[in-house]
Amino acid sequence: EDVLSAVHAFPETLVYTQSFLDFVDKVNEAGEGVVRIEVRGGPEAIGMFQQPEAVRNGVVDMVYTPGSFYAGALPEKDALVAANVTAAEARAAGGLDLIDEIHQEKMGVKYLGWFDSGVSYNLWTVDEPMLDAEGNLDVSDWKLRGNPVYNAFFTEYLGASVIDIPTTDVYSALERGIVDATGWTQIGLLDLKWDDFVNYRIEPDFFSTDLGVIVNLDTWEGLSEEARAILTETALEHERTSAEALAELRDEEFAELEAGGMQVVTLEGEAAQNYLDAAREKTWERMRTQMEKHPMGLEHYDALIEAFYDPSKDPGS
Amino acid sequence: MEWYWALALLIGSIVVLMALGMPVAIAFLAANIAGAWVFMGGFDAVVLMLDNGFGALSRFALIPIPLFLLMGELFFHTGLGARMFNAIDRLLGRVPGRLSYVTVLGGTGFATLSGSSMGSTALLGSLMVPEMQRRGYRAKFSIGPILGTGGLAIIIPPSALAVLLATLAQIDVGALLIAGVVPGLVLAALYVGLIWLQTRLDPQGAPVYDMPPVPLAEKAGLVLRDVVPMAGVMVVVVLMMLFGFATPSEAAAFGALGVILLGLAFRCLTWEALTKSVTGALRVTLMAYLIVFGSATFSQLLAFSGASSGLIDWATGFDLAPLWMLAAMFLVLLLLGMFMEQISIMLLTVPIFFPLAESLGFDLVWFALIMLLALEISFTTPPFGLLLFVMKGVAPPGTTMRTIYTAALPFIACSLILVALLVAFPGLALWAR
Amino acid sequence: MTRALKLYEGLLSAFALIAGALLVWLMVSILISVTMRNLGLQPFPWLFLSGEYGLFYLTMLGAPWLVRKRGHVHVELVTAMLPARAQAWLSRAVAAACVAVCLLLAYAGYELVRQDIARSNFDVRAYFTPKWWLTVAFPVSFGLMALEFARFAVGPARMHSGEAGIHE
Ligand code: NA
Ligand code: NA
Repeated sequence: EDVLSAVHAFPETLVYTQSFLDFVDKVNEAGEGVVRIEVRGGPEAIGMFQQPEAVRNGVVDMVYTPGSFYAGALPEKDALVAANVTAAEARAAGGLDLIDEIHQEKMGVKYLGWFDSGVSYNLWTVDEPMLDAEGNLDVSDWKLRGNPVYNAFFTEYLGASVIDIPTTDVYSALERGIVDATGWTQIGLLDLKWDDFVNYRIEPDFFSTDLGVIVNLDTWEGLSEEARAILTETALEHERTSAEALAELRDEEFAELEAGGMQVVTLEGEAAQNYLDAAREKTWERMRTQMEKHPMGLEHYDALIEAFYDPSKDPGS
Repeated sequence: MEWYWALALLIGSIVVLMALGMPVAIAFLAANIAGAWVFMGGFDAVVLMLDNGFGALSRFALIPIPLFLLMGELFFHTGLGARMFNAIDRLLGRVPGRLSYVTVLGGTGFATLSGSSMGSTALLGSLMVPEMQRRGYRAKFSIGPILGTGGLAIIIPPSALAVLLATLAQIDVGALLIAGVVPGLVLAALYVGLIWLQTRLDPQGAPVYDMPPVPLAEKAGLVLRDVVPMAGVMVVVVLMMLFGFATPSEAAAFGALGVILLGLAFRCLTWEALTKSVTGALRVTLMAYLIVFGSATFSQLLAFSGASSGLIDWATGFDLAPLWMLAAMFLVLLLLGMFMEQISIMLLTVPIFFPLAESLGFDLVWFALIMLLALEISFTTPPFGLLLFVMKGVAPPGTTMRTIYTAALPFIACSLILVALLVAFPGLALWAR
Repeated sequence: MTRALKLYEGLLSAFALIAGALLVWLMVSILISVTMRNLGLQPFPWLFLSGEYGLFYLTMLGAPWLVRKRGHVHVELVTAMLPARAQAWLSRAVAAACVAVCLLLAYAGYELVRQDIARSNFDVRAYFTPKWWLTVAFPVSFGLMALEFARFAVGPARMHSGEAGIHE
């Protein structure tokens, strides 16, 4: 029997961690006697930003983490951040095989699967946002809670001030009015209780979560043929089912939030398209700049965009 | 390896090394090296541990601490603190232990809003303890109340740690914050009662000296000149945090600036006062942060090796009556608190304790409140509570660790009494529902 | 030899001075960014970042100086119970153990820097900072700490006083 040690980036109670633990259960069930994943814990066991290095060094065999936590080593992860397709669609287009290949070459890890895909981000605001004459969001005098993933979009396109605040402190920052708005994934606002202060959700949603499972390559190659097959098949299935489960959960949470008084402000037509374009272009721009600094260069740039972005899915078209 | 062997190896090595006289921070690092080698497989894990230490130290959340320290040291070395306390002393006249009461009130307000028991202990310790000692207060009347206010701050809203716990445990944040109000007031009353009792039992410990009555005009002058500006800086810092003008780090920076400006106004900001303040703040920061550096990885090793979850499973595995289960969980929290910082403990225990508490039929908000108290108590529990070391760092030279321990114990007892009261009368926390 | 020693002393003091300056910079950088924000300007992201990195650098650069000042908390229990000769022996042995720990960590730090350069790792916050610019503090700091502990292991000065209690 092959045994893989694993850690996850987020605390155990978070919905994304639960999804990963679900995957682990499926593997352990299907792989009985062949392969077993032994979860050693979350950020309390290995710091969330050290986990990618830990799997590269073989301190653990498997990590479930957002690609953004190893953006320095693999700027190509921004293709997933700017994606508007789910894992199943990206896999069909060859995007995930390409991402796997890049992971193997740049980091010496196997990219097993992109889980919990299809969940994107919204801007959540305390006060009703102003729209200008063209229907664009006018938040230039607001303070937004930021983080490196969306700061470029918030400052350069929306023109707002950004304050970096750790997730754990956002509740009191909203409470005391230190920030007027925050970006966050469509799911999870209820768990964080930010809906105590946030009253508006801005549509359209932008970006995508980029959570994936990576496995140390030496470990991967040392596994039996059968173990690898079980892991791959289970991962493929979980890519699909996790996206479906989270889409359902998102609809439930949206309904619950709206029942609790959350109002939705939707940008229309060209304003919506400009908003989405800006979020995506800023991300691609960052990906391009960082990719150029690596020996591999822009080799896969166009192919990645092709596989992870489907223009026909945007509201303007 | 069985969890108890892992636990014995990690905790055993640190206790032995510390007993032999190795500096605490280095002992943590040595235990980490051994643990990383055994549980994570060799030298690569030691390299990873350094990377992890970098992550633990370069966090914005740690910034308020050196700045509050700087603020306190500046108050002290410019003599502004002494001015203020002279004035308060004269104004309050003959109330025995008056500065202790001031500490409880001011400390609670301050710790509660700064959101950092470490930062607040650092500030109040460097500001109050030397002044009170000079006035003949025994350590229990100065150090005790300061260490006690941390426990108060964690349950009186706003409390960053309460919000974090509620978030992790997925219970109502608002309900937990409201649940802390009455117990917070009860704890404050217990502290006041304790100080009153201590001044009765040991009248020499907090001096009463005959003071000529101060004429009203002079009183007004004292208040305006020596109290309002200094207390004003503290109040402005608190208001900045309260009304969202600034985060705690930002408010701390403004506080330090405020003291510098006051020092200029009162012409007491000498170059010597400035360098001494920076040196003092630097020493304590370095001492505390190198321990943070070491203990960050230590608590991860406890988690990664399965030692802490093994301990929790074991302690909660006896099929005991709910009250004994509560005691067991409380004890586990105190035990972990000796070696780990609060957020790691939460991450580790919440997924096990909360489902367990629910199955035992506990109200989860009530349970969360008790858990918060356990965490804060463990922060000041001898021998390794981090606040004790911070206090040691800022207290006047010659203050022994033993003095700090004895000063802390009665206040810990008050927190324990509150826990007992909460167990006996859950309504204290749950009256609002 | 004395020149090398002088140079080394100078280095240690310079690092302590930088650590102190970084502490003051923490305050200044925050004051600037809050002021900018309230004037409606976008604070430079590097102000925020310099605070976080500053905290790390000041801890690492100041730590060797604190060893010299005997400023790291330690407990005296066993040393206090021993007769003078055994006490001196134990004190030197503990200092030597500290040297070993610090040397190993200095080497691990060197290895980390090598890895960060070979993998061109970045610390990703407001900017992409080459990781080794930061981690290079490890081999330097632990190397100097090893030297400082070595002075207590073989030099005339002792790390321990022989009085029971916790010292700082
Ligand atoms: Na509080
Ligand atoms: Na502790």
